[in-house]
Amino acid sequence: MVPRAKIMVVEDDFDEAKLIKMILEGEGYEAVCAFNGKDALEKLESEEPDLIVLDIMMPEMDGFAFCEKLRSSPGNENTPVVLLTAVAQHIQESKYPLNGVMRAEVQEYLEKPIEPETLLAAISGLLE
Amino acid sequence: MNGAEPRKLNCWESLGCGRGPGSLDPCVVATDSAGNGVNGGTNGGRSCWAVVGTVSGGEELAPCAQGTSCLTCDFFRLVKSEEGPSFQFLKLAKGVSDLQELQETIGRVESLMAIHERMRTDFDLRTTIREITEEARKLTGAQRSLVLLVRGKPPALHGEFVLKGELKRVKIDFHESSAVGYAAVHNHMVNLKNIYGALHSSIGPVFNRAFDKQCDCRTHSFLAAPICDAQERVIGVITAANARKGFFSSDDEWFVEKYATEVALAVEKQKFIQQSVSAVRLSAIGETVAGLSHCIKNIAQALRAGSHIIKRAIRSNSVQDISAAWGILDRHIERLADLSIDVLAYDPVVRERSKGGALNEVVRHVVELFEEEARARAVQLTLDVGDNVDPAKFDPMGIYRCVVNLIINAFDACPLSDGMVAVATRRTGEKEVMISVADNGRGMDEETKAAIFEFFRTSQPRRGTGLGLATVADIVDRHNGRIEVDSEVGGGAIFKVFVSEDIVVV
Repeated sequence: MVPRAKIMVVEDDFDEAKLIKMILEGEGYEAVCAFNGKDALEKLESEEPDLIVLDIMMPEMDGFAFCEKLRSSPGNENTPVVLLTAVAQHIQESKYPLNGVMRAEVQEYLEKPIEPETLLAAISGLLE
Repeated sequence: MNGAEPRKLNCWESLGCGRGPGSLDPCVVATDSAGNGVNGGTNGGRSCWAVVGTVSGGEELAPCAQGTSCLTCDFFRLVKSEEGPSFQFLKLAKGVSDLQELQETIGRVESLMAIHERMRTDFDLRTTIREITEEARKLTGAQRSLVLLVRGKPPALHGEFVLKGELKRVKIDFHESSAVGYAAVHNHMVNLKNIYGALHSSIGPVFNRAFDKQCDCRTHSFLAAPICDAQERVIGVITAANARKGFFSSDDEWFVEKYATEVALAVEKQKFIQQSVSAVRLSAIGETVAGLSHCIKNIAQALRAGSHIIKRAIRSNSVQDISAAWGILDRHIERLADLSIDVLAYDPVVRERSKGGALNEVVRHVVELFEEEARARAVQLTLDVGDNVDPAKFDPMGIYRCVVNLIINAFDACPLSDGMVAVATRRTGEKEVMISVADNGRGMDEETKAAIFEFFRTSQPRRGTGLGLATVADIVDRHNGRIEVDSEVGGGAIFKVFVSEDIVVV
């Protein structure tokens, strides 16, 4: 039996985290939730996710700060990440330069509201 | 090098009129001993513009000044550049023998300063121009004064004045056929005297007598100074008519020129204010739209995901998934409703404001509404109602909204476990009641505290509508109330809303 891919959903809104988790589980993935960047970093070692769905705007540690830490943590240099944002990409980029954070080959950037199908396609694309 | 300084020329030497001291017919300037030494000249030789009887004064005009203005004369400019910062325009520092003249001059300068001061504080262009016009009229001893500004296409000079208690508007073509038009077209001071007399020149600027006919008056002396912007473009003309003394002196010219500068400053200031206001408005609209869009996108995200799960759950007959997703969907529909109510709550009209009634009941009702959510979030929600609070005078809808938003805000701030939100009411004055909402959340630093009542400045960008506390501030403001926030990082927060019962109907 092929082991199920494990996805970590990092999202500060409980409802949204839960909904994404349910969507992923419905597709046969194993999903775990973290509620901010700090929480996610703490869970990283024990959970060892195959992919991370990451919200950008979060209190305590936002998605970009988390991404930087993730990339410098051993074994996670290439862990695929799907970034979610409710702010239009060009505004987001003007506020937060993506230098050194975005890596096209292992990251996807999706603007909310996201079709669940689009999210699933992005995930399966990155996991291949 | 010890070269001798070049000799300073007096006007009669520079202009070669042949009417210097000792000549057969010496000019008034050449005999004006009060000006002796001013700007290094002999008698009035280097302050000739300040001597009554040259440009337009008295019976006798100096030959140099026929049909021209001292302030644009080459000799005036020469002396000004030679003397630099020590240039004396008036004979103030030396040789003032006439105390009354000195007092008048000081009065004029003070009036200019007063106008300048007023512009710095309470500003309205129309009023300011009216004040400047009136000051210019008084200080030149004129019968009337007028400011005309260039407007329209083709450009014309527009002004307004009161004649016999009636407001009249005047429009003068941007053309040299009138004295005002001449001043504007040539960017040049015009000083006319004895307009209906035989001496009045037909060369150069001419007073348009049609104006007198229309206004049923007679103008004998007339001063028109161009008003220029920072780029030296003529934006208007300031005029004075009918000097009490029969003519306008070079001092009058100088002061009117300064008033022209004040008008130019006022116009520039008005432009600046308009630009700033529209920039602030645009930026506020931009922020509001961006904030709303952000909030709606988050809600839409939850609705879309929720509906996806429900559809899938229906296909697989999973009642458990339907129920879980429906609960979330329901909350987000509620959040959408909250958003629209918050937007609508920014209504400048206070509804049912004086209705009032039982404040404790309203607060209790809100707390009960949130009891279920408190359990779901593992937050301990308590209510402590004060004595003597009711009956109170308040806008029940507004206060209801305030308490809802404060509780949502407190919930969002609470830690993931062992959250606590305490709501209380108290009477704090004969005509004042207080509602407080406290939480044991992560608290706020000073910077966050300073921004919490602004639109979409939430530290919980995902959960709230971003309008909640801004709405609270608006409602409290309309109650003549105030909000106190006590909080520090890690120490929770307490919001105290003080509602004044001194209702002012808006």
